[in-house]
Amino acid sequence: MGRQFAFVMALWKTNLLSAMEYRVSFLTQVFGMMLNNALYFVFWIIFFARFEEINGWDLVDMLFLFGVVATGFGAGTYLFGNAVRLSPLIANGQMDYYLSLPRPVLLHALASSSNASSAGDFTYGLFSFGAAIYFSGSFGGLMLLRFTLGCLASIAVLISFLVLVQSLTFWIGNTSLLTRHAFNAIVTFSLYPITLFDGTAKLLLFTLIPAAFIGALPAEFVRSFDLLQLAQICAGGAVFLLLSVFVFYRGLRRYESGSAIQVRM
Amino acid sequence: MRSKEAGALAGEGRVREHSAAAVAGKYWAVFRTQLLNSLAYPIDLLGRSLLIVLFMWIFMNLWRVTYGAMGANSIAGLTLADTMWYLMMAEAVMLSKHDLSETFSEQVKDGSVAYLLNKPFNFIYYHFAAGLGDSLLAFGGNLLIGSAVVWLMVGPPPGIAGWVFAGAAVVLSWLLDFCFSALIGLSAFVVEETNAFRWIYQKFLLLLGGVLIPLDFFPAWLQTISLNLPFAWIIYGPARLFVEPSLARLGHVFLQQCIWLAVVGGIVWVIYRRVVARLVINGG
Repeated sequence: MGRQFAFVMALWKTNLLSAMEYRVSFLTQVFGMMLNNALYFVFWIIFFARFEEINGWDLVDMLFLFGVVATGFGAGTYLFGNAVRLSPLIANGQMDYYLSLPRPVLLHALASSSNASSAGDFTYGLFSFGAAIYFSGSFGGLMLLRFTLGCLASIAVLISFLVLVQSLTFWIGNTSLLTRHAFNAIVTFSLYPITLFDGTAKLLLFTLIPAAFIGALPAEFVRSFDLLQLAQICAGGAVFLLLSVFVFYRGLRRYESGSAIQVRM
Repeated sequence: MRSKEAGALAGEGRVREHSAAAVAGKYWAVFRTQLLNSLAYPIDLLGRSLLIVLFMWIFMNLWRVTYGAMGANSIAGLTLADTMWYLMMAEAVMLSKHDLSETFSEQVKDGSVAYLLNKPFNFIYYHFAAGLGDSLLAFGGNLLIGSAVVWLMVGPPPGIAGWVFAGAAVVLSWLLDFCFSALIGLSAFVVEETNAFRWIYQKFLLLLGGVLIPLDFFPAWLQTISLNLPFAWIIYGPARLFVEPSLARLGHVFLQQCIWLAVVGGIVWVIYRRVVARLVINGG
């Protein structure tokens, strides 16, 4: 376990050093993404200025929601950058490299690349959480602990969901369109209040498109402690993580090498 | 001498006329090729249009709850049905517009711009013709699926005038959007990374263009600012025309689109000429 952790840390360090080679590009993407997210949030400022609240959710709830989702999404897709491009790696036979080395294939593949813009999401998420604390007037060590836990659960479900969807490439070939739709769906749904949806829609958001585990549920838990919600986010994270690892390795048995000469720089 | 000159000028005129037709034919061929290319993959085309279902479903939930909470039949003159049909048209325009800025900047960064610049067509016109071919089919697919979903949710669409007027305005919307895409893409000649510009432009469209919320719901000061910016005439103009069609509104939308086209198109032209003049290509 310690060796694997050291290995992943080495990968992350390499990714960071690689990004720092193009420092201006990295910083442009980080600040660009922060501005991008801030502009998107203006929609909710305008919305709540006019309509005050929707089914019990107000602007401060949205700040908590954006805090958890952006921090989780940013950290997840920065540290495991290949989670958003696993499907072409499988379809183009580019998993050979990871299969030939004595390291866990999935972990190695996911952590081998990072996205500069994700660092912008992560930073924006922290700012949003800071603003949520300021406007709600409530802060304490326990809230920081709940935020950390909520973000970890959010990362686990997001990355697991992306792995699950793209693992279908092992069975059905090209899933680029499905991946694009699944990615859009999970991100879009996670940024809306859960109270907008009822019945079947809610069930969908806890199962097929588990956006509730990425956004609303951890955000509500961060705001106020609830034992049931804690159990739900922990169980959600664990179940999706185990399921994704299981499905990926089952699919890997069907993997066909591209036999192509690959150059990694 | 006079007649000679007149004959020469008449001849030149014919040449110009001929070359104008040839130029139009050239870009028509590019447009047609892209159209046929997209038509060759109908499943992919329909698959791309599924995204509008997701957005319409979320919007329906959001605005149904909001109208319910307000206890009002209409907000800023728009009923729930009007709002949903407005959002359908806004999303259809947004999802079908062809974002060329990425293609542009990739071609600048990987050097393939060198191969395109010495071809017998204008780099900018070529991309617009190809993008239009792609957008047209995507727009059709989005309208078809989006309309079916919204019809099921809130009832029948606005009358035929709305479809015709909005359809005409959408073509100018794409042209205006293309100018912005070209500007972002051409910036790759100057800066290394253009992604940030692209994201921010998209957010301007979502917010100040009226994709997420009709501009009518904005506070008065923000509405005034938005209507004096070009983004509103890419999305809000055609979408609002769709739910409330009138000749006066159509004229106003066209006027605004033409003014902004002249401004942004002029900037694109100047920048394009400057960057091409500065371009140095090494190798062979």
